[in-house]
Amino acid sequence: MEQPSPEELISYGKKAIDTAMRKGADEAEAFLTKSLKTSVAIERGQITKNMRKRGQGLAVRAICQKGVGFSYTNILNEESVMKTATEAYQSAKASKPDKEWPGFPSPMRYNSIKETYDNKLATISSEELVSIASRMLEEASSFDKRILAAFGSVETDVSSKAIINSHGIEAFDKGTGIGCVLGTVARQSSDVTPICIEFNVERLYKINPEWIGKEAAKQAVSSLKAKKVASGNFTVIFSQLALYGLLYYTFINSVKADQVQRDQSVLKGKIGKKVASDLISIYDDGLMANGLQTWKFDDEGTPRQKTSIVQNGVLKNYLYDCHTAKKENIKSTGNALRRGQVSYMATPVIEATNFVLEPGNTSRENMIDDVTSGILVNDLQGAHSSNPATGEFSVVATPAWMIKNGEISHAIKGSMLAGSIFNVLKNVSSLGNNPRKIEQIVTPWISTDNLKVIGK
Amino acid sequence: MRDDFEEVINVGQELGATYIEVRGQNLSQTSVTIKDSRVETVKKGMEQGSAIRIFVNGAWGFASVGTLEKPSLVDSIAEAFKMAKTASLKVKAPSRLSESKTVEAKVAINPKKDPRKISIKEKIDLLLAEDRTILDYDSRMKSCTINYLDITGTDYLMNSEGTYIEQDKLYIYLVSVATAKEVDRLALSHDLLGYTSGFEEFDKETPEVIGRRVAKRAIDQLKAKKPKGGTFPSIIGPRVIGVFAHEAFGHLAEADLTMSGSVLIDKLGKKVASEKVSIYDDGTISGAFGSFKYDDEGVPSQKTTLIENGELVSLMHNRETCQKFGVEPTGNARAQDFRFEPIIRMRNTYLAGGDCSFEELLEDIKFGYYIKDYRGGQANLDGTFQVGVQEAFEIVKGEVGAPVSNLSFSGNTLETLFNVDAVGKDFALSVGVCGKDQRAFVGAGGPHTRVKEVLIGGAA
Repeated sequence: MEQPSPEELISYGKKAIDTAMRKGADEAEAFLTKSLKTSVAIERGQITKNMRKRGQGLAVRAICQKGVGFSYTNILNEESVMKTATEAYQSAKASKPDKEWPGFPSPMRYNSIKETYDNKLATISSEELVSIASRMLEEASSFDKRILAAFGSVETDVSSKAIINSHGIEAFDKGTGIGCVLGTVARQSSDVTPICIEFNVERLYKINPEWIGKEAAKQAVSSLKAKKVASGNFTVIFSQLALYGLLYYTFINSVKADQVQRDQSVLKGKIGKKVASDLISIYDDGLMANGLQTWKFDDEGTPRQKTSIVQNGVLKNYLYDCHTAKKENIKSTGNALRRGQVSYMATPVIEATNFVLEPGNTSRENMIDDVTSGILVNDLQGAHSSNPATGEFSVVATPAWMIKNGEISHAIKGSMLAGSIFNVLKNVSSLGNNPRKIEQIVTPWISTDNLKVIGK
Repeated sequence: MRDDFEEVINVGQELGATYIEVRGQNLSQTSVTIKDSRVETVKKGMEQGSAIRIFVNGAWGFASVGTLEKPSLVDSIAEAFKMAKTASLKVKAPSRLSESKTVEAKVAINPKKDPRKISIKEKIDLLLAEDRTILDYDSRMKSCTINYLDITGTDYLMNSEGTYIEQDKLYIYLVSVATAKEVDRLALSHDLLGYTSGFEEFDKETPEVIGRRVAKRAIDQLKAKKPKGGTFPSIIGPRVIGVFAHEAFGHLAEADLTMSGSVLIDKLGKKVASEKVSIYDDGTISGAFGSFKYDDEGVPSQKTTLIENGELVSLMHNRETCQKFGVEPTGNARAQDFRFEPIIRMRNTYLAGGDCSFEELLEDIKFGYYIKDYRGGQANLDGTFQVGVQEAFEIVKGEVGAPVSNLSFSGNTLETLFNVDAVGKDFALSVGVCGKDQRAFVGAGGPHTRVKEVLIGGAA
């Protein structure tokens, strides 16, 4: 695979800024990316596709009397770069002044980051990816005759990004990643389980495909013969995947400074106040070694940092980009992200980086041991339909199991969990010693008391 | 384009591919974002790219690249061929492609008002008018974010069987989100509109009409009660029955997912719903968000009957899955853009209208819920679904009562379809953006529909 060249991206960026400034822009910024993704897909128990996707792009922001213009293209040649910069300038002129425009940031020193680029992943062959996928698949298929590996993939990416602005920022970073995922279902006559997912997602080549295959299959077999639960209030253990959905769609929204400033967060005015159990500490760490979202700088060119969000249950900080930080005359926390499949098409918004709920020291076994009557939830359906403004959710727990007297007794189906993320975090009784990284979240298992379960 | 594509396909055929497909795309996009009366961004973008898909010994190779230049396409075809061969080494049961008629076509769009000819100023003014309607509706309205997007471009498709299609595309999409606040109570309202017709749609759905709808829903939610948890009879409104038809049922009937173990796998020709239920996936509705002329494998779009009077009559197919079922392709192969390979996607999925008035649906219900608008939905292959709701009301003694907040409902798809006991004579189609690794613009809808019981997830 080709290595991205910093010089190439930066020279196009400079050209774009020169063009916009010469047209008459007050400020200008260029953001550039280049990426290569290679993947192998598993469908219905076999390898079916092998894919490679190459992409590159440029986004230009030009400011004209506080009007903000944005333009992007994936055609990187001199003519197209100049045209894109001109479009950004014209859009800025056609727009209305944004009185709150904070200005682009000036150069600042970046912290060093670790374990974000692995040459092995940058040069891995598609033959090797097929072999990884096939080992993962074989392990699942040979585990039990009732297993079907419904879908799965092995995907690597190598990407680079650059930001240049008219205040002198000129930054470049590159990174790698690998993801191996397998989703299985078990089927026994008319009994079909929900999809059971296992995965490794890493920045470096640290994967165990056999483990993924076996664990996904084991989970599906143990999800057979699910029974309905009678409604009631239970102790609920959330796995990392289950808690990921809740935290991402509720809690994270309420600590974004724009949500707070615009009166869309129940955590407004709660800095220094108790918002969770003493057991809960949360920080956002844009510099975490081997973190899935770790880069030297955010998508406005601000240095990434570590920000305390909740310390022993007390709310400490919100997450900021340049725009929201300016409104409170403080510094951005480096949380601007151009979100989406194609970053150069997106305007920066506030997003968590590696949002870490600090683990405890209880093992999985001991967490289950401590429950007399409760539920273990491995995944949630509908977390994305939670109320982002209030943190309230009403979701289906699937796959999930009943725990009785410290033992997993049987799989359950058709049960809904209703509550608010803030009550879940207030009623936490123990934290696992098993943190995992899932997109923006790093969390262990948590056990929470007295959650409403609606069943039959 | 055509000559370049032909040359590239010749290169692939010399390599020994069974089937070669070359897609190209030019895409332009304009968007405007307004937050609390402030124009946050005016955005314009231009992209081009190509995607080559090759079938060798029953496995696919795929290469996409952000350019349409011929030397890159030639590199891509060699790469895609090599990738297909690598994947095919591990294929146990090679699949085949169905026969398909070759097509030569040029599809033009014909909007009354072409969004490319509408000035940025007019687009900004439209959004600001909606913004003012929302924020002036009531002093408790606190904020709103409105995002307008139009996408225009041309898709080019050539395959090694002789199909060549040039298809112009147009999408207009408007998302409005608003919040209301009273003391510590926050309420959220969310609205989506999408068209493949033209900017003239905003002459009917004026900014004032949209704004009042969005604001009223948020204000109603402020005085909303909490739902009771448990099973209740319910009337599902058109927007929610659409998301149910799409999420809870539709995904199970996408043939790739059916074969991955969905509960429909052995149900073709069998009863899967009450006989009041007919469900269609229709890509031919003029102007609807999920409509198009040809899919990304070159198969004409069509109206596909999925359920007819309770019986499962068809799944949704691409050329690979229909071959396995021995049926004709249904035109459901769609790719988000040049970055992606075509996969089975829905178009406009809806439950067909019946013969009851809204009052007739209501009259027998002593206590239940009227579920009017959703926030999101999700389903699992085992047939468990969940729909999060943003607007709902109690039904008490046959009449619509107080608003209810943060409700969601769940159940088993087929049990719920069997529990449909009355279907309204009204009908409405709404829009969505479906995610299945790739994004697809879809429509979904139906009439007001009564279900004997669904599981309502109550509040804490």
